[in-house]
Amino acid sequence: MSFVEFRFLWFFLLLFIVYWTMRDNTARKVWLLLCSYVFYAAWNWKFTFLLLGSTTVDYIVGRMLARCKSRGWRRLWIATSVCANLGVLGFFKYFNFFVSSASGFLAWLGLPTSVSTLNIILPVGISFYTFHSMSYTIDVYRGRQRAISNFADLALFISFFPPLVAGPIVRAVNFLPQLVSARKFSDVDVRGAVILFLAGFIKKACIADGVAPIADRYFAHPANFTPRSAWIGVLFYAIQIYCDFSGYTDMAIAAARLLGYQLPNNFRFPYFAQNVSDFWRRWHISLSSWLRDYLYIPLGGNRGSRWFVYRNIMITMLLGGLWHGAAWTFVIWGALHGIALLVHREWTRLTASLEWATRAMRWLAWPITVYLVCVAWIFFRAHDLSRAGTILKQFVLFRGSGNEHFHRWMLLVVAALAFIHWLNSRRWFAEPWRQWPAPVFAAAYGCTVAVVLLFVPPHYTPFIYFQF
Amino acid sequence: MSRRSAIRNNLCPIRDLALNVEPLRAPTAAERKTLLRALTNSAIGAGAFLLTCMGLHAILPFPAIDDGVSQKLRFFAAHKDEFDTLFIGSSRVYFQISPAIFDGVMREEGIPTRSFNFGIGGMFLPESAYVLEQLLTTKPRNLRWVFIEYDELQTKWAFENQTSRRALYWADWKRTSLLLRKLTDVGIDAVWLPSLKKLRDIILCRKGEANTYKQLIFHTAQFEKNFINVARGADILDYFWGRDISKWDAKYLGAAGDGYIPKTGGMSASQAAAYERALGLAMGTKPPTAFISPYTVEAYRQCAQKVRAIGAKPILLVMPSATQFNIAYGDNNARPPGVIMAFNNPRAYPNLYRSSARRDREHLTKSGAEEFTRIMAVNFAQLIQAGEVK
Repeated sequence: MSFVEFRFLWFFLLLFIVYWTMRDNTARKVWLLLCSYVFYAAWNWKFTFLLLGSTTVDYIVGRMLARCKSRGWRRLWIATSVCANLGVLGFFKYFNFFVSSASGFLAWLGLPTSVSTLNIILPVGISFYTFHSMSYTIDVYRGRQRAISNFADLALFISFFPPLVAGPIVRAVNFLPQLVSARKFSDVDVRGAVILFLAGFIKKACIADGVAPIADRYFAHPANFTPRSAWIGVLFYAIQIYCDFSGYTDMAIAAARLLGYQLPNNFRFPYFAQNVSDFWRRWHISLSSWLRDYLYIPLGGNRGSRWFVYRNIMITMLLGGLWHGAAWTFVIWGALHGIALLVHREWTRLTASLEWATRAMRWLAWPITVYLVCVAWIFFRAHDLSRAGTILKQFVLFRGSGNEHFHRWMLLVVAALAFIHWLNSRRWFAEPWRQWPAPVFAAAYGCTVAVVLLFVPPHYTPFIYFQF
Repeated sequence: MSRRSAIRNNLCPIRDLALNVEPLRAPTAAERKTLLRALTNSAIGAGAFLLTCMGLHAILPFPAIDDGVSQKLRFFAAHKDEFDTLFIGSSRVYFQISPAIFDGVMREEGIPTRSFNFGIGGMFLPESAYVLEQLLTTKPRNLRWVFIEYDELQTKWAFENQTSRRALYWADWKRTSLLLRKLTDVGIDAVWLPSLKKLRDIILCRKGEANTYKQLIFHTAQFEKNFINVARGADILDYFWGRDISKWDAKYLGAAGDGYIPKTGGMSASQAAAYERALGLAMGTKPPTAFISPYTVEAYRQCAQKVRAIGAKPILLVMPSATQFNIAYGDNNARPPGVIMAFNNPRAYPNLYRSSARRDREHLTKSGAEEFTRIMAVNFAQLIQAGEVK
């Protein structure tokens, strides 16, 4: 079940009405927990046991960490949690990748092997809820979070349906305190939440699903297209992935807000970033901050020599790329971003006192950043390395022998969407509707939704980040 | 506290749940006021949404549906008063009824006609009923006879076509309600009374109802999408930018511009042998037992009503398809709403069931189609002369 399907509308209406009809906080949490499992089961009920199992392991680890004072035992318990979570993630997501990669490597060494891959179904959202639950046990280990005695609270934190399948990645320290006291409907910014949901819906269902056929057509057979069409295909994909992912996030945050819970913001106009570092402070913020706090800093972070820091950055970005998918294209995507981060650090260090460089970068920083991000997206989206190479040649070197092309007016579509996005960043659409009387707002909202639905494609395109 | 109690307290979540439930209390006046305001505003929003959807549905131009639907509709609308006979149905009509031959034979019989073939590949009931209604809303002044392919109401849609606009544009309440009724077998009375046993079997996917649940969800979702005008923005753009689909006219209207596309080719020797064997087996079994369902009859009754309303006569056509041997009609509980011309009898029409006359079990070759058209025209002329059709 996804947020743009009809059955989600009926599901959420029922959940919302019953939730706010209950006044007891415990009853509400139990209801929410039940609905979250139903939401997850709508995809595949068998994997609710995996979710429950992961929750149970981390609950026990949390309790044992609270009881154990010995450092050795605490390390053992946290290692148990990390190994269990990463083991499950590794098996479901990376088993076939590692097996086939190892087999390919051995074959390259002249040692052909016959290995069979398993027909493993990837549980939807496993990358996200694994990180949710790991944040709990790691924070308990570090003393930043008290171990939860109420199993239902922990289960609700891990399975809470809005961010469950595609983020944002929620930290226990931010979410668990919200479960302590009952939410009040009068504190809910209903207008803001429904507007945010509609904005997310437009981004996903109208824009992302609208541009998806162009991007899909190009990336399926890039060699058939001209270099100019390569630019259109890649730019359309850049629009698609942003609108798809940030659209989902907006809807998730809005749904949580309507239930009285705050989720972290996940995007802050990433395509206006001035450098790759800035890009990662604006794109998938919950993941980049999670990787920073639970991977980069434990590796050593910024402490140590320059090469030590660069090592930490590359490891973090490579694993961040691998987190997205079990394929070398994702690893290369992560590596490209890692290299770009290193280059940015070196450039900043070397040109700190050069005024001409600072002045030049004031104009060039943004287009260079967007260009680099788009180049990296080529690897993120390409079916395989061979096609990525073809696209790279077309996009970077303007070399290609294809004849198919997209109309030039599609660049106008890109420009128009970029302009609307810029207006949004200046908060042009933010506040006027807040002043309207409630019945007028309700009527206007109803009419707007009816008009927006005209521009939704008839086919349902799954959220891109569901596959992660 | 004992060790066992401590462990129980630390690790037993149910106990924690049980201990923390607050006692119920009545809602305060402020809470009741907030709730009432929320309900009122929600009702206003929902009402505005529904009214806007209905208004948009009324004013939006007809969707651009490919596969020949829009092309033929547009052509017919432009030439509606030129035709007095209309054939509508699936590819069994599209590739098998030649208006030129039909008109020629009818002219020889002393009943001149000018006919149009509105067959579309894969167009069965309920889609054909919807398209027929669209045709009749153009109010063709000279239409006298409408031949409607007679076949069971189709509830299944091929998975690869489920997200197409072709599966969406006809899904209004009239069509969807019949489909839902058929799937849940609630009858055609005004009040829907589902059998609990049937509902149980559908929900638990028992006894051959494995796909029924999915079909119910699918058709309900299609109706919802159609009602709220999903994907109709493209029609607005097409209307103002004038997407030129006239270049496809020849492809769908045929060389003569009468809607008929003759198909060449036939069966291979092995296909013909397999077909002859299957035909022999089918003819050796008992007479037809699969009656057209009352839901199908109701759908055709609605079509017939619309046809008669503009002064024309409906004729129900059972095509010479090898997959329709066992279709029966005329059951007293579900009388067909019009004259039936049935060609699904290989004993009565052996020439139409020779393997040399067929491309496959469903379709005739070009020569087979021409022969069928002649037979049909002669039969129709006889019906007119006998007074069974005026």
